Amino acid sequence: MEMLLMGLCISVFGFGVAALAFGAATRSESSAPQLEAQPEIRPAVAARAAAPARFFSDRVVPAVPFHSQVPIEVLLHQIENHVRLEEAAAQSFVDFPSLDLLHCKTTSSLVN
Amino acid sequence: MEHELLNGLSAPEVDQILGLGTRITVPSGGSLFRLGDPADRIFLTVRGRIRLTLPMQLRGREEEILIEEKSPGQTVGWSALIPPHRFTLSARAPLETEVIALPREALRAYFETSPAIAYKISLNLAILVGHRLQLVQAMWLREMRRTIELRSAAAGPAR
Repeated sequence: MEMLLMGLCISVFGFGVAALAFGAATRSESSAPQLEAQPEIRPAVAARAAAPARFFSDRVVPAVPFHSQVPIEVLLHQIENHVRLEEAAAQSFVDFPSLDLLHCKTTSSLVN
Repeated sequence: MEHELLNGLSAPEVDQILGLGTRITVPSGGSLFRLGDPADRIFLTVRGRIRLTLPMQLRGREEEILIEEKSPGQTVGWSALIPPHRFTLSARAPLETEVIALPREALRAYFETSPAIAYKISLNLAILVGHRLQLVQAMWLREMRRTIELRSAAAGPAR
């Protein structure tokens, strides 16, 4: 019985130490950015869920140098693709108006 | 085929309107109208596709930049019904395309005798123009935001 109680006490103590260590390790990463992100307005999520999302991208692709000497045909293709994606994004906003959809990112290589 | 400009019209009314027009086949790569041309006909797309473009200087060359693309059932060239009756885009067919060209004067004469149909078509036209305006507003705001972000990034972090 004594051994069982001792084991239980050691387990509870160990769990407590582990919880404190975890809290200390994650506090510095989570607290500061949250303060900066507070003013951001979060619009309705329902509209985003209802709208087609295939044009949008949350990932940020490294920017392609705009002044690089890509062939004019490639540049024209990029522009055309950009226009189509922007129009699709604008159409999604018109269908389900929200701040989120108005400023959603696309996968356009011209601006990412 | 249903034409967006003729939504809400009965089948005989649609036939009467289409009877005012002429079918035109634009060959692949052919031009339907050019920016600045007098706009005296509005076009209903029947088959194929129409690319609407605006010119832009790219590396010292003038290139046509795609603004919109129209599919069968859609309307092209509503400048014909709205002063100053000049096309504000260029239209070209990327593949063999068939359109019905409706002359403005024939439409105007028909509308004078049929105000109820004129009202329905005007309403459809307002929907087309309004929708385009909403799209362009959103696209313009997105581009403006990007411009400001680029300028802010170039200026460095705020102090």
